Amino acid sequence: MLTEKQRARYERQIILDEIGEEGQQRLASGKVLVIGAGGLGSVSALYMAAGGVGTIGIVDDQVVELSNLQRQILHNTDRIGTLKTTSAKLTLSALNPDISIDTYNVRLDEENAAQIISGYDIVVSALDNQETRYVVNSACVSLRKPLVEGAVRGFSGLLMTILPGKGPCYCCIFPKSSCDPYLTGLIGPIPVFTTTPGIIGILQAQEVFKLLLKTGTPLVKEMLIYDGLTSSFYHQEVKRMPGCSCCGSLN
Amino acid sequence: MDVEVRVFGGLENLIPGARFGQDIPLEVQEGCSVGLLLNRLAIPQEKVFNMLVNGCHVTADAILKKGDRISLFPAIGGG
Ligand SMILES: [Zn+2]
Repeated sequence: MLTEKQRARYERQIILDEIGEEGQQRLASGKVLVIGAGGLGSVSALYMAAGGVGTIGIVDDQVVELSNLQRQILHNTDRIGTLKTTSAKLTLSALNPDISIDTYNVRLDEENAAQIISGYDIVVSALDNQETRYVVNSACVSLRKPLVEGAVRGFSGLLMTILPGKGPCYCCIFPKSSCDPYLTGLIGPIPVFTTTPGIIGILQAQEVFKLLLKTGTPLVKEMLIYDGLTSSFYHQEVKRMPGCSCCGSLN
Repeated sequence: MDVEVRVFGGLENLIPGARFGQDIPLEVQEGCSVGLLLNRLAIPQEKVFNMLVNGCHVTADAILKKGDRISLFPAIGGG
């Protein structure tokens, strides 16, 4: 049952046919893990908190830096030097004291990934590096957890929802071996325009809401690609790779 | 034979007249590989992080067929 305060807080979406009190209750029972409290994670977590996702886990091992604030809107100038997980919890709890925020001040790796991810229904990959994307993808495939993957660069971004066994995983489309030359050649920070992770992060939150509410169509077997310079979106069909090293044995 | 190429994320700047995400119709020789197609478009292979043909990941030695839809992506890996 929703409380009076919850009914008031979520009134504008509860009156939607697709949601109602039952849908809002479903969101309240939802547990979503956001990996990375940077540009993508800031926006996806803020909207999930605003919309009433009951439990949000945040994984990040970094502290807030001045150069983060141009796009990482969970944090602010006073919090420079504070752990991002601490800052994230402060912001999200202030926005919505009704939900639980779990924090993990660690870098996700092969040792801890399965243990952390297993406590959640859905994972949002809000990462700034390829290496951890593979760790997260592999853990989500093993645990069969839905994974909402997003990435940005400059004015461009992309996202896709991975339902292990039902559509391609990250490795089907971006196999690790093909990325090695790029990874070794990567030098310096990735350029990111201020609004790009905002757009992709919001769409990642939208994927989570659709999955929790069991409404609409998730971006499975397709990737959505965004061009900020023309404000255009493109759909790209994506298929599973037969014999994918990660999800090839799932059905 | 005719194929279609789409480029994303800044790769369009390497091809005169190309636009982000818009189909570029091209005629290529039978037996043309994705790598040869990149050469023909004068796109350095190291700028391309990922290549899809009809939604499937391929490597540069993949041979194209009539009507194939090729999508080329740079590294988009930030967050
Ligand atoms: Zn796969």
